[in-house]
Amino acid sequence: MTKVTLTVNGEARSASVPPEMTLLRLLREEFSLTGSKLGCDVGDCGACTVLVDGKAVNSCLMLAGQADGRDVVTIEGLATMERLHPIQKAFEDKGSLQCGFCGPGVIMSAKALLDENPDPSEEEIRDALAGNLCRCTGYAKMIEAIQAAARLEDARPAAKSA
Amino acid sequence: MDKKSAVVETGTATERARSVEEMLRAPAAAPLAPLPLEVLIPEAKQQTPAVRQRVTRPDGRLHGLGQTKYIDDFYMPGMLYAKVKRAGIASARIISIDTKEAEAMPGVVAVLTGRDVPCNSFGPSLKDQPVLADTRVFYSGDGVAAVAAVTEQIATEALEKIKVEYEPLTPVLDPLLSLQLETPGVHAPNPNVYWHKVIKKGDVERGFAESYRVFEGTFRTQMVEHVPLEPHSSLATWDANGRVTIYSTLGRITLGRADLSRTLGIPMSRIRVIATVVGGNFGGKNEITTEPIVALLAKKTGRPVKCTFTRPEEFTSSTTRHPLIMEYKTGVSKQGKLLARQIRLVLDGGAYCSWSETTLGKACILSAGPYEIENLHAEAFVVYTNKTMTGAMRGFGAPQVCFAYESHMDDIAKALGIDPLEIRLLNTLKEGSLSPTSQVLHSVVVADTLKQAAERFGWNGNGSKS
Repeated sequence: MTKVTLTVNGEARSASVPPEMTLLRLLREEFSLTGSKLGCDVGDCGACTVLVDGKAVNSCLMLAGQADGRDVVTIEGLATMERLHPIQKAFEDKGSLQCGFCGPGVIMSAKALLDENPDPSEEEIRDALAGNLCRCTGYAKMIEAIQAAARLEDARPAAKSA
Repeated sequence: MDKKSAVVETGTATERARSVEEMLRAPAAAPLAPLPLEVLIPEAKQQTPAVRQRVTRPDGRLHGLGQTKYIDDFYMPGMLYAKVKRAGIASARIISIDTKEAEAMPGVVAVLTGRDVPCNSFGPSLKDQPVLADTRVFYSGDGVAAVAAVTEQIATEALEKIKVEYEPLTPVLDPLLSLQLETPGVHAPNPNVYWHKVIKKGDVERGFAESYRVFEGTFRTQMVEHVPLEPHSSLATWDANGRVTIYSTLGRITLGRADLSRTLGIPMSRIRVIATVVGGNFGGKNEITTEPIVALLAKKTGRPVKCTFTRPEEFTSSTTRHPLIMEYKTGVSKQGKLLARQIRLVLDGGAYCSWSETTLGKACILSAGPYEIENLHAEAFVVYTNKTMTGAMRGFGAPQVCFAYESHMDDIAKALGIDPLEIRLLNTLKEGSLSPTSQVLHSVVVADTLKQAAERFGWNGNGSKS
């Protein structure tokens, strides 16, 4: 067993896990954070995307042990008791999610993008979503929502903290 | 279900250190609710008129928060994980299945084979599909045994310990070969052609005789997998009264209940199917897959059992879109008017029937295209092959024939030197036209739609934008 201590959504967490356990399974099975989804388990679909030290990462490709000492943000870490994250709000307003399974991953990729580039072009958004598959083919409304969220974030920079 | 340990205020320094350590180990539950943020009650006046109003989905917020619970997000106390061993051979006779070594593995609680299934056949129309293959393998994605273990990893490892001895048989892989009478039956003694449909209108021979030119073309489409982002999953649990509750990604729970009643050999009133939020269906989740397996494993072990497809299983062991071989023959006048059309469709049904009947019917009815053709003969066959089974997928055969008749139309337009748009406008169905099955059609706007589309993207007759 490997001991892992990391920060998840701002809180220190620790767990003893088998060495082959992925970060995704650590989050889902040990920490009950089931918002990150297992879609393909080989890093193709992006449904498991989380932020590790601010970068969008396929958590199914990262071992739990590799996340030791890192700062991880999952979809559960975006909203507060008071309000949705601007990206979540925009996704809701624009009806960007259909079956919703890819949603948490897409929103995390979008967050990584907007944190680095508050005013991305459509092409930059498409590039940021390249690792996230949606089979309901709802990319257009996602891009619209991310553009809208970028405008919201500009207006309210305080919303950037996750 | 949280195992949060209480904070110990007193005790030795070692005890305090241990309690802090335990707190850090406590599972971090998803933040209970950033809910309700605001109550979503649409005002009556805002709801009407609906046209031009933006509709937000009632489940959109939960999706975005990551709070929607798909089956793989469920856990029940004592729950076991099931995995299915796939045959990996297209056609074979099963000589023996040895599960002893797998059963002896620590962490394995039960192993299931086809012999344990009360009634080992099901299907939405023909009951030709086994829950787990017991005597014959009909395609490589067939399940031959299933394991329930305390972790997914142990279940997966146990599959490798199951030894299956096969006598390989020659598989039928080509649908056109399967169509021939002398080809051995995939499900012998049943014939390989398991559904057939003919639509006749007018007299095609006379139509061809009166034609200025007759064009022929053969078009093929490939097998397509639905690839829902959420893999197929089901979870079963029994109560002491002999009732089973099955959580499933199934789109058609009533049909699923009937199939479960048949395969489990218990009345439908003992079966409760709960359809959970589906992470993409597209027709691929219209019939049961692992539901009877988890139900039987749960009964055998007395514990809840969950089975989630791996992504490779999604490709090998769920339904796909029918590949079609489409032969078109069309007679036209000098001006490009369609006078007669003869069509033969061969649907590759794969190993089991699934929704082939529906797909064949719709493909056949729509195969003439949205065009007025007085003389029509359309014939469709669906055949068994030892390949991944085909079933429902968005459109039920309509996209395949659309690819064929529109490609054929472009070929005809090119050969006659007519604008592809003009030849379509000349032949399109109009108000009061008869469909291939002689239904009188109303509210027909094909021509208007084509004209508007051409105008909007600047059609200039040669396929490029003006």
